[in-house]
Amino acid sequence: MSRDLAFLLPELTLMITVALMLVAEMVRRAGLTLLIGLAGLALAVWFTLPVLDAGTTVFGGTYRIDLLSGWAKLILLPATALSMLLARAELSGRVREGSVYSLIMLVTIGALMLAGSGDTMLLVLGIVVTGLGSFALVAYPGDDAATEASMKYLVFGSVTGAVMIYGLSFWFAGSGSTLFSALSGMQTKPLLAAAGLIAVLVGLGYKAALVPFHFWAPEAYEGAPVSVAAYMSVVTKIAAIFALAQLLRDLPIQTGWAWAIAAIAVLTMTYGYLAALVQTNLVRLLAYSSVAQAGYFLLGFVALGRGDIALLSIIVFAAAYVAMNIGAFSVVLLAGRDIDAIRGLGRRAPMLGVAMVIFLLSLAGIPPLFGFFGKFLLFGAALKAGFLWLAVIAILNSVLSLAVYLRIIVAMYRAPEGDEAAPRASPVAALVWGTSLAATLGLGIFTRLFFS
Amino acid sequence: MSLLSLAVLAPVVAALILLLVKRGAAILALLGAGTGLLASLGLLRGAFLGNAPQRLMLPGLPDMPLRLEASALTSVLSVLVATVATFVLIYAVGYMRKDPEKTRFFATMLLFVAAMQALVLSADWITLLAAWELIGVSSYLLIGFWYAKPGVASAATRAFLYTRSADLGLYLGVFLLIGASGTSEISATLATTGTAAMIGGLLLLVAAIGKSAQVPMQDWLQRAMAGPTPVSALLHSATLVAAGAILLIRVAPMLPPETLFIIGLVGGLTTVVTGLIALGERDLKRLLASSTSSQYGLMFLAIGAGAPVVALLHLIAHAAIKSGLFLGAGVFQHERGSTAFERLAGSGREHKRIFAGFVLAALALAGIPPLSGFFSKDAIIAATMNATGAGWLATLAIAGTVLTGGYMGRAMAQLWQGKVEEAKPSGSLVWMGWGMAVLVTLAAVLGAGFPALERLLGAEIDTTLAAEALGLGAALTGLALGWFLPADRLLGPLLPWAREGFAVGGGMDNLVMRPALAVARAMNAVETVLYEAVFVFGRLNLRVGRGTRISDEAGIDGFIFGLADTMVRTGQKARRLQSGLIHRELALTIVTTGVIAAALFAAPLFY
Repeated sequence: MSRDLAFLLPELTLMITVALMLVAEMVRRAGLTLLIGLAGLALAVWFTLPVLDAGTTVFGGTYRIDLLSGWAKLILLPATALSMLLARAELSGRVREGSVYSLIMLVTIGALMLAGSGDTMLLVLGIVVTGLGSFALVAYPGDDAATEASMKYLVFGSVTGAVMIYGLSFWFAGSGSTLFSALSGMQTKPLLAAAGLIAVLVGLGYKAALVPFHFWAPEAYEGAPVSVAAYMSVVTKIAAIFALAQLLRDLPIQTGWAWAIAAIAVLTMTYGYLAALVQTNLVRLLAYSSVAQAGYFLLGFVALGRGDIALLSIIVFAAAYVAMNIGAFSVVLLAGRDIDAIRGLGRRAPMLGVAMVIFLLSLAGIPPLFGFFGKFLLFGAALKAGFLWLAVIAILNSVLSLAVYLRIIVAMYRAPEGDEAAPRASPVAALVWGTSLAATLGLGIFTRLFFS
Repeated sequence: MSLLSLAVLAPVVAALILLLVKRGAAILALLGAGTGLLASLGLLRGAFLGNAPQRLMLPGLPDMPLRLEASALTSVLSVLVATVATFVLIYAVGYMRKDPEKTRFFATMLLFVAAMQALVLSADWITLLAAWELIGVSSYLLIGFWYAKPGVASAATRAFLYTRSADLGLYLGVFLLIGASGTSEISATLATTGTAAMIGGLLLLVAAIGKSAQVPMQDWLQRAMAGPTPVSALLHSATLVAAGAILLIRVAPMLPPETLFIIGLVGGLTTVVTGLIALGERDLKRLLASSTSSQYGLMFLAIGAGAPVVALLHLIAHAAIKSGLFLGAGVFQHERGSTAFERLAGSGREHKRIFAGFVLAALALAGIPPLSGFFSKDAIIAATMNATGAGWLATLAIAGTVLTGGYMGRAMAQLWQGKVEEAKPSGSLVWMGWGMAVLVTLAAVLGAGFPALERLLGAEIDTTLAAEALGLGAALTGLALGWFLPADRLLGPLLPWAREGFAVGGGMDNLVMRPALAVARAMNAVETVLYEAVFVFGRLNLRVGRGTRISDEAGIDGFIFGLADTMVRTGQKARRLQSGLIHRELALTIVTTGVIAAALFAAPLFY
């Protein structure tokens, strides 16, 4: 037991942190809540480093301390910190500001549960924990749009959650266990395996906003504060994707899941970018772009079980995605949500403009930015698994994606109509996009670090 | 610090300092470019001395580090880029003297030079891809430099999107080659054979067609002339456009005969088609742009004929010649405020020295001995005569040579004939003159250095008397035709079509861009229709329920009109009634899930 707890030090740290944050919130000290949260995150990252590649499980195999969950912490915790800072820049001084930080922290704990889950029950728990916090976060502004969006998110979540739990019972019936590791026996029971797989795809597909389970995402991102949208587009999405990877690693490939994943990948990428192409609201545009980006993650999935390259490509792209997506959202936060608001931004705020261009080009997968290296590895993984057609479609989509992102870039360097105000100056937000920029620019060349 | 990193980093560092201090733009730019040139020359010296190639490695991906390497070929290219860049920048000091945004201009130019150095020196495909994209982005910024002018921003976007869509070929080709050979090192992937080599080569050809403005993607280059003249001189003679040819020259050892022949055909067609377009042009810079496509067509011909070194020689000669010509055109433009021939008529007699330089470069391009173009062009004709499919390739090469003479003759005639305007003294002319003088001198005498280069690159080129005679005859014929005959006489019924740029099916806009946008709009429409359909359906049910009452009240006509009204109104309300949408979206989710489920349940039947 004490051995297990030692491995869980990062998670325990975060739980204590949340408790402290709630206390700070009770005395209405929002700044203090934020500070406690950031300190807790830093401490948790520190505790993660020694157990990064322990390759073990705790609590009877239900929770995994492995490469995937280790990197999930190293990626998601800094992402959480950046999101909190972004929320500070956006919501400072608003009523119940501190609750946002506590909720974000709570959702992150759920996200870590998802990313490390080795058991279907923990998977369901992770979905519920991330869900509850997220509904509240989306509804935070309290206006009609936010309430509606949150409501929709909740209904969608309830339905998909119910389907998932129902479907998972088939797996339990087939393997006699809730552990993922027992799934290898499902090879002889293809129908039961497929029933459970569909359920999992529905449940996690909803959380990761994969097509056709994405409908809630643009609404929710638009209704929520921009910082919350940035957070959800990154942390809960990556957590769900990692959870799916944890699960599919153990599911025999003979059940045909690779083809289902490939089909969803194609749908997600193509639909996401096509829908993004006609958006005029930048938050919605980035929402659809996040949908499409989730499709790229799935490229790595088809190579699961063929060595570490699949997991590592997913991990590297997750890191890249965090940096560039949070960066792009933070620029939108400063500049305004409408594509007209960003018009002329490149001249009113040159540094911010250049940063945005780099985030967008990285999202489009242009070398030598970080996003390219992630996508390159994912393409390589798909090729290695023999899914040439999938890689080709992904590359075609990258061309399409450039059209999406170029629309923003072109608008940014147009002459502004009339005199728009300069973007809000915010040192906290500058810290966020500055950090994201450094990671997007610099980490690509050092991709090998992820492999050591 | 090694010479290799200095060649790439000197321009970058200069650009960064420039962006920080925001003054002394010209001096910093010249320092950066000059240092880069010295480093490149050092690399070339090392290659001549037979030293082992310098290498540089960065971690990058596991088993696929990022590499730069200065081999004989790459150091020659590096010197070429650095030389043209330096003298174009010297010229730009004069040209941009009065521009308020000098800092941005020189910084972007330096970034472009650095990216181009990285491209020519790259020894692995990932570095090459990165550099390829960087030159794409920086050229976008440079073409769009005067973004406030009408049409400039769209020209820049067009250039970017055209070359970008062709880049798809590069990505696919590179992935294919890496997949086939298991390494990202360029020299190692060249051992690829068979189908992979053929298809990989064709994919790379697509990328090269885009960047080097070959048929059918020649259109963007003329529009890219919207940028400042030094940009045209640097990007569209020696660097950006050269990237395509350089790519093919580097992979030439891998290419099987079928691919080579297709490359030759593309080049041959381009040299003729864009040569004709150039003859019909009414604008000096656009004429030079078309001629660039046409000359790169000749290089593709040489590559297709299996003589990449000949293509390289022509690339070098053309770089010096064409940048010299552009700089000359820039002087005339600077004085007359336009590049249209009707405004430029007679300006050659105002600036006799500049015009003399222009003529020297023009004759070199046409291939008159002993200027550099003569040697490279004859080598191309000789190579095509010995190649497989010589009947096709050699004919196209000679036609291209005649056309080269033709449009250069016409350009000179237009500049010389016409009335002289009052020349005004201009201080800018000194810098511009010097930059141009060096490049034109190089254009004239470079031919003498070719034998040494051939030895360095390990390819002896033997030309025949027949090729020399044919080439010279073709060049002189073309020059005479171009000088004495007006364009409509030369082109006849082809003239209007040539002025349209031989647009087929409305050009690339109609073939690529519009369909892509139409698909996107259709997707949006589908989404909107789905939104609305649900409501219309719901209301319809209600209506039908109350239908009897309505038909009692207003008769069947009223029912139909009422229904139509309701549809319109519900359509408008659709976006506000969110609660119903969840049903619709969940239904859609469930339908799709059902499809996936069906597929999965069917899967075991196939295993």
